Amino acid sequence: MKCLLCNHQLHWQPRLSQWLRWGPISEPVICKTCQQGFHHYQPPFCPGCGRHLEGGKEYCADCAAWRKRLGWGLTHRCLYCYDDAMKEWMHRYKFDGDYLLRRVFCGELTAAALQLGADCIVPVPVTATTMATRGFNQVTGLLNCRLSPLLVTISRGKQAQSTKNRQERLATSQPFQLASTTSSLAAKRVLVVDDVYTTGRTIYHAAALLRAAGAREVLGLSLAG
Amino acid sequence: MKASDFYGRRVLINAAHHEELAGVQRLPTMEVGRHYVRCLRCNQLSERRVAALPHQQFYCRHCLQLGRVSTLDQFYHLPEPNQFQPVVPVLTWQGQLSALQARISAEVARGMRAHEHRLLWAVTGAGKTEMIFAGIAAALQRGERVGVASPRVDVCLELFPRFQKAFANIPIALLHGRNPAPYAYRQLTICTTHQLLRFYHAFDNLIVDEVDAFPYASNEALIFATRQAIKPSGGLLLMTATPGPALMQRVRHHELAVSYLPLRYHGCLLPQIRTKLTIGWRERLGKGRLPGTVARQVQDWQASGQRFLFFVPHVADLRPVQVALGKHWPTLSTLTVYAADPKRLEKVSAMREGKVQALITTTIMERGVTFPGIDLGVLGADDPVFSASALVQIAGRVGRSKKRPTGKVIFWVDSISRTVLAAKRQIALMNRKGQKLRHEVSIV
Repeated sequence: MKCLLCNHQLHWQPRLSQWLRWGPISEPVICKTCQQGFHHYQPPFCPGCGRHLEGGKEYCADCAAWRKRLGWGLTHRCLYCYDDAMKEWMHRYKFDGDYLLRRVFCGELTAAALQLGADCIVPVPVTATTMATRGFNQVTGLLNCRLSPLLVTISRGKQAQSTKNRQERLATSQPFQLASTTSSLAAKRVLVVDDVYTTGRTIYHAAALLRAAGAREVLGLSLAG
Repeated sequence: MKASDFYGRRVLINAAHHEELAGVQRLPTMEVGRHYVRCLRCNQLSERRVAALPHQQFYCRHCLQLGRVSTLDQFYHLPEPNQFQPVVPVLTWQGQLSALQARISAEVARGMRAHEHRLLWAVTGAGKTEMIFAGIAAALQRGERVGVASPRVDVCLELFPRFQKAFANIPIALLHGRNPAPYAYRQLTICTTHQLLRFYHAFDNLIVDEVDAFPYASNEALIFATRQAIKPSGGLLLMTATPGPALMQRVRHHELAVSYLPLRYHGCLLPQIRTKLTIGWRERLGKGRLPGTVARQVQDWQASGQRFLFFVPHVADLRPVQVALGKHWPTLSTLTVYAADPKRLEKVSAMREGKVQALITTTIMERGVTFPGIDLGVLGADDPVFSASALVQIAGRVGRSKKRPTGKVIFWVDSISRTVLAAKRQIALMNRKGQKLRHEVSIV
């Protein structure tokens, strides 16, 4: 087995505790050096966006602004900092289209999604054009559990968020609509999962739709932020 | 896209961006088997499990750097039409070949006319590039499409200006992974061997320089690419100073003709390697000190202002060496360079222009680069990362200019390894052959 990121040989043996534990033994897919390049957010977190928050404030400036603007707010969780290593991984996974790299974070993100205990897990959708060229939805690839694809993109020339600056991102209009198969979401806790949380624009658009469909609570989860 | 973009190439087009172009052949990208899928660009097999995309689609991880090949795409291809009108004179190179070089040059030109598969085995600094000019010029004049490829991007970057000067009337395309310029259809193409994966039955004559270099020598995909890039009737010229066992076997089986030149262009012999024992150099370096023999040698170089290359086995050794050198001689200007260095090209050109006295480097500088009148030392030459052919190549950096055809090659070793011995033996062998040849020529 070789590290998926740097192609070095992995030297790994399961520990005794892993042998004795019930359930499958998960093998690492990347080496220690590559693993150390990624950084988790350290507590205390901002409950709004899941990023690190200093100074004992209730929300970070961004999340406070969202709450002021909309009158409601998301509870979101980010797993990793969106630093150089993560950007590099994201580029290789999404834009070079190396679908196998999903295995690096699939287990962890799935566990995090299930742990939040939502009634349904909704991945942020990709456009039909992206699906035809990339061949996969980067969020669905990272989740190895039952998903409810309640959202679809509105078919128009959607420009990728990653190509815009902050002002342009925030000015983006609603890119999603509810899938026609969506039944009532009344009194359900819904979890929206995306790959990157930057300004929160995308996930707030998704959350607004789900709230309008009757969801009791909308949670957010992203791999990086 | 223009039709000429597809001549002799297989261009990857996504089904969503389908274009209608007259006569374009649309070819499949992958072969899907029961357990494995085969990429039709690099001919490598992958397990279905590893290569899978959702909805029964597949992609290839082996040649991902060149843009992903997947079953969502198609190759667009047009056969090479050879629509060239070369401007005369094709060859604007004014230099002179020595009698020996001229002999080999004529042999190579004859081989290229007959579209032979040939190995040109010439010592480092024999003037290989100049020897193939005549053959290339004749091929261009015949309206053939010619490619010059090398596994190393540094080699391509060094070859390009030399070819531009030598073929001033012929537009040349330079293709490598870091070149942002879009592809252009040209009669003469200089590219890395990875870029050959994009060509299909394009070249009437293809020249591959430094065939024994990493990653070409052991990479099936690149060897496959070479075969695909030339026309079925096309010629292939492989060039190296240190052919490996696989190449030698092909020569023995008469699959390859061979031209041999054991003397450098200035007629001098190769500088022989001197080995010095420096036991425990790495521990000493860890404490910021250089071994005595190294320090004395660098002192000499520093005092005389002699520029030198300093090879180390691993990227991790670069920094300690630079720090130790800086501590001993604060005025000594040094740079470190390694494969993944973002400023690699700038640093090499700084060394070439004489802005720094020393370049500390790993095996990436082993071949294809010429710094005139240089000396060099290899710290830890017995490390397994240096193969015998790499050591011969490294030693071959010295004594390449007519003004200073000699120079020092010093290997600092913990112990004399097989690879170091083999390298010394290879140089001695070539020097013996060279001496004999010199003798014959002087009689004639």
